[in-house]
Amino acid sequence: MKFLLAVGSKEYSEPTLNIGSRIAKAFDADLSVVYVGSKPKEMFAGRVNLALDSMVKWEIYHPGIDVLRWAFDYLNSSGYLESEQVNGFNPENIVQENDRIRMVLQGSYGRKVDLILREGEIIDELRREAQKEDYTLTIIGGSQKRSMAHDLIQYIPTSIFVVKSFDTRRDYRLLLLVDDSKATKRAVRFGATIAANQGMEVDTLTVSKSENFGPGYSRAAKAAGRFLKSKGIPHKQHFLTGDPVDTFVEFANETHLMVMGASSKSPLRKFFLGSKPIKTLEKAAFPILIVK
Amino acid sequence: MFQISNQVIANVLYWIRQKRWLLLTIIVGIVLYLLPAPSGMSDLSRPDDAYHTLIIVIMTLVLIITEPVPLPAVAMMILILQVVFGIAEPNEVASSFMSDAVFFIMGSLMLAVSIVKQGLDSRLALGIIRLTGNKTWRIAAGFTTICALLSSFIGEHTVTAMMMPVGLILVRSTSSDPKKVAVLASLLLFSIAYGSAMGSIGTPSGGGRNVIMMGYWTEFGHGTVSYLQWMKHAYPMLLFQIPLAVIILLMTFRPKQRVLDTAVRKLKVQVTKGGKMQGKEYLVIAVFMGVFLGWVFLGHTIGLGIIALIGVFVYLAFGLVDWSDLNRNTNWGVILLFGAAISIGIQINYTGLAQWIAGGAMDALQFVAGDSPLLQITVAILLSAILTNFLSNAAAVAVIGPIVLNMGGDPIIMGFAAALASAFAYLTVVASPTCMIIHSSGLVKRGDFLKAGGKLFIMSVIVLLLVSQLLWPLF
Repeated sequence: MKFLLAVGSKEYSEPTLNIGSRIAKAFDADLSVVYVGSKPKEMFAGRVNLALDSMVKWEIYHPGIDVLRWAFDYLNSSGYLESEQVNGFNPENIVQENDRIRMVLQGSYGRKVDLILREGEIIDELRREAQKEDYTLTIIGGSQKRSMAHDLIQYIPTSIFVVKSFDTRRDYRLLLLVDDSKATKRAVRFGATIAANQGMEVDTLTVSKSENFGPGYSRAAKAAGRFLKSKGIPHKQHFLTGDPVDTFVEFANETHLMVMGASSKSPLRKFFLGSKPIKTLEKAAFPILIVK
Repeated sequence: MFQISNQVIANVLYWIRQKRWLLLTIIVGIVLYLLPAPSGMSDLSRPDDAYHTLIIVIMTLVLIITEPVPLPAVAMMILILQVVFGIAEPNEVASSFMSDAVFFIMGSLMLAVSIVKQGLDSRLALGIIRLTGNKTWRIAAGFTTICALLSSFIGEHTVTAMMMPVGLILVRSTSSDPKKVAVLASLLLFSIAYGSAMGSIGTPSGGGRNVIMMGYWTEFGHGTVSYLQWMKHAYPMLLFQIPLAVIILLMTFRPKQRVLDTAVRKLKVQVTKGGKMQGKEYLVIAVFMGVFLGWVFLGHTIGLGIIALIGVFVYLAFGLVDWSDLNRNTNWGVILLFGAAISIGIQINYTGLAQWIAGGAMDALQFVAGDSPLLQITVAILLSAILTNFLSNAAAVAVIGPIVLNMGGDPIIMGFAAALASAFAYLTVVASPTCMIIHSSGLVKRGDFLKAGGKLFIMSVIVLLLVSQLLWPLF
């Protein structure tokens, strides 16, 4: 299993790297940390690259290299890499691979970690990266851009974890949204692995628009409860009525990490009408993981 | 029954998202093509050709600004549509595509690589620091002045590429905490970028768009302007701008660090590690001096572009630069695009489109100031200065050059005004390569471009207007 984790800066990406690496550890997954920087306008790209090249001999590197070095040191000190070796990062050890730059790390680490630098628009570059390797999950920090929720869910072909307002010092509970969709089963398994590994308690939430919960919803909730019990994960089940998206957002609080299944609607319907995950992601002020 | 999978639909939606500007451009192009030419164009000798040229210009501008397709594709579109719309014969398009201005752009891009690759930046750094000492304001003033003077001969991005590391070394040696040196970084990096941008007006070799304008003057029968004549018009403007720019930058960015004692010492140590200048470095400078003398004394006979190419040839022949370096750092797509832009610029003039746009603009503004030369020159300056902030200075001059030359007044003066104003690309990150280069450091904020650049833009427009009204009439 391999996860893709996007970092932007030392200032804002620490929570993303913190929870992202913990989740990768929970799945014993390899991790690609990608920095996506802004791409020079094509008109000026040659001249900007000439300037960047001239800086290397002064040991001044692309700002993204500094961020990747920081990410590497963070993973090393947080125990993700399970290695005593701290000198594996050398900014001169870079390999240009078509549309991306990859850092070659010296030495071996408990898990495989790749450090990648890309330039361009964030969704385009994450999509290209996700298509290049077989990633299961893309982890990214929250964004102010409203269309980001739609673009991530619609165009990135992996599960998505958006680390919004995550506080590294806080203890979180896992909020598992359960309905009769196909993706719920995968979401339950995914959420249970995280909860078990991180010692989180779980709230499962099933929301129906009417008082009458259909058989599909009841079956899904029971199955989720059984699965969590079988894994020994402490959990509480909640059943509420109302508009699903509003109810999800109202129920969740600042200590929740939400996990939900992706919508099975066609991309065209999602494009014009949206979906529960897209709308929830737009409104959420907490970390949210959407399992495809 | 045939069913389209969700994956295919998602891919199509993604493609539409990526290419939305291309699709919009094509739709706008088709709609405009189906509409009749504006009635005002009927007075022109080739109204349909003028209208079709206008459609190509609109499509080109949108595609250059939004970049949904690679620039060489835009270049090809320009050439193809000229033939498809029947504006020009294929051979006519081909001959207008390659000119001395394109040779100059190609040659100057390669000369830049040759110079930057020699590592002369450390020599330059030492020279500047010796001149300025270690006071922050003096270093900023020194950066602005030296960058302006150098870029007037070797081009803005060449100087910025050489000076950026020097500025960054000073910043990083002051503190490793970016927050503590944010203002200092802005002051030094903007001094480099804006100094280089201002300087690029000084001589024809300061920027490709200067040579494009010289090409238009000759092509459209307005006469020829020599290297020294250009300097006579442009250099005073540059010299007036330097102290004003220094004052603006020092007033805008006031770093806490008044003296960069430690940073200067570290820089000196780093530079002296490089040892004394080698014969190769002397040769690089000597060849460039030869190119410069060629531009001054032979430019009007064999062309500035050919002289730039002679310089590149000598660098290659003497092994002073590797072809692989030139090939890797020269953006061939940009060269193709400038060739195509000049080609459509020629059609803008010959189809009468330039005359139509210029006439329309002047008619619309006549109620403000009548038919005054001051209005004509102000419009030319603002048109060029605004467009350059969204396009690129060479593309801006290629497109609006023929228009301003048709606005009335002395075409040489109007051309100078537009070409010089195209250097005022201070307002956005994407305005010029120098702005993008300093932004790539990650140390300057987007908002700073407007904060400092806005003041510089206004100052430059005023200085250019004063120079054009008070100084140029004396020549």
